[in-house]
Amino acid sequence: MRVVIAEDQALLREGVIALLREYDIEVVAHAEDGPGLLRIVNGHKPDLAIVDVRLPPTFTDEGVRAAIEARAQHPGLGILILSQYVEPAYTAELLATGEGGIGYLLKERVGEVRTFLDAVERVAAGGTALDREVVAELVGSRGPSGQQAALAALTPRESEVLELMAEGRTNAAIARSLVVTLGAVEKHISNIFGKLNLPATDDDHRRVLAVLAYLRAGEA
Amino acid sequence: MSQGAAGTTGGPRPLGAFRRGSDPGRAIALQLAIWAIGGFATTVIWAIGDDGYYWPVWVWYGLAIPVALQVGLRWAWAKPPGFKRRIAVQAAISATLFACECAAWAIAGRDGVFWPVYSATGYLVLLGLHAAIWGRMSPEREAALADRIDQLTRTRRGALDVQAAELRRIERDLHDGAQARLVALSMHLGIAEDKLADQPEVAAMFRRARDEAGAAIAELRDLARGIAPPILADRGLVAAVESLGRRSAIPVEVEADVPARPAPVLETAAYFVVAEALTNVAKHAPQASAVVTVDLDDQRLLVVVADDGPGGADPQGGGLTGLRHRVEALDGRLAVTSAAGDGTTIRAELPCGS
Repeated sequence: MRVVIAEDQALLREGVIALLREYDIEVVAHAEDGPGLLRIVNGHKPDLAIVDVRLPPTFTDEGVRAAIEARAQHPGLGILILSQYVEPAYTAELLATGEGGIGYLLKERVGEVRTFLDAVERVAAGGTALDREVVAELVGSRGPSGQQAALAALTPRESEVLELMAEGRTNAAIARSLVVTLGAVEKHISNIFGKLNLPATDDDHRRVLAVLAYLRAGEA
Repeated sequence: MSQGAAGTTGGPRPLGAFRRGSDPGRAIALQLAIWAIGGFATTVIWAIGDDGYYWPVWVWYGLAIPVALQVGLRWAWAKPPGFKRRIAVQAAISATLFACECAAWAIAGRDGVFWPVYSATGYLVLLGLHAAIWGRMSPEREAALADRIDQLTRTRRGALDVQAAELRRIERDLHDGAQARLVALSMHLGIAEDKLADQPEVAAMFRRARDEAGAAIAELRDLARGIAPPILADRGLVAAVESLGRRSAIPVEVEADVPARPAPVLETAAYFVVAEALTNVAKHAPQASAVVTVDLDDQRLLVVVADDGPGGADPQGGGLTGLRHRVEALDGRLAVTSAAGDGTTIRAELPCGS
């Protein structure tokens, strides 16, 4: 796996690089601002870019903009955003960029080494890894969207399962986390698909649709 | 005579008492009592003695002066401070003096010419001079006051701008400083924890330490959001308001026409108006939905949050009062309309013309 990182704070950048190296993930290049990110993505063709939301020179959402731009130039590039704060608007924008893995984690998750490495692997492989805080914010909110009623019809346990799906967990991981059997998780998921009225195509695709429905309900 | 009158009222003391709004009835009642007892006692002494000239009339007269002065000054002090009150005080004293002179003339036998008319003319001339001089000075004073108001408005706005910039700087410093260090700390603790998988007790200690660091990071994050929401600085008012709408527990529709970014201090005030209003709706009318309108032109930034809930909000409620102070500090106006059964509308208008 080839990883690049865009982070202006040396303390964190070097820390993440050391952490990934410790677990045999190679960081092939790093950048300190948005244009730098585009340069190294073009130069190194990585599988995954780990990007801080705030980068120089504006220290606002430079990172998100640069990541979206990088993704537009390199479809399929996995993007793992690290942020100090939860902002569902950014997640929604990233999810709208199409093909490739997307992750949005609070910075402190880096300390949960296994979770972080898991997210890195998953996003690089084209999966999703949303911070549980992002997901919780989206669950707590209700958009005016038509998916609203469908989502409201979910039982609390089904909502929990959908939340974990949105975080990007596998069925086995969901089962472990909720301390239920794999069969029970599959049952819940099939109920969710039913209630959200998702067509019976292949499961992975429906899974993404369910998560998107769930996230879009949080959009304006 | 005027000397004596001023002496018996006790100098400036009663004036201070007016200012503090002490019980006016009691002071006057006390003086009336003294007047009545003094007059009655001297009348008794007069009756016991020879029945010649009724001299106690002068005692009645003398004791009445402070009462009259007191009533007059109280009337004057009820005027608004400044020019009107000065004139009123002078008029009250003049009137009391004139009344004294009339009474003296009457008691003394109403002989000869009605001399109090001379002093009355003097009092009127003085009063006229006072009014004329003050009236002439007033335009200059008014200009000075206008300058002062202008200066205060400017410096107040300057202070608020500085404050808004400072809050954003503090938020950024928290992000780059303490939060970054805590994240690094948490990361190192996490690596150590992972490496110690074969010593579960030690690993658990590291995990607790990491949890604490995580809690500190979360608290700093909440603090930072409370003082200067990052999305407001990053994306501006409309994005921040839309984000509030998305996060709200009720359905929120945002209609925005904001062609430019207003000053940070206005953005922040408008943001907190919407945040507080939506929180209130979610709390008091969880079944309602809300429409947020944000409109900027070159005169003012207008923010309206209207819900279709049951209405009946208390405009003096703590949160709304805080908002009103925030808006009024920017010379804006906050209006709350909340008739029962008709929803609640909070409308904040912030002037932004320079």
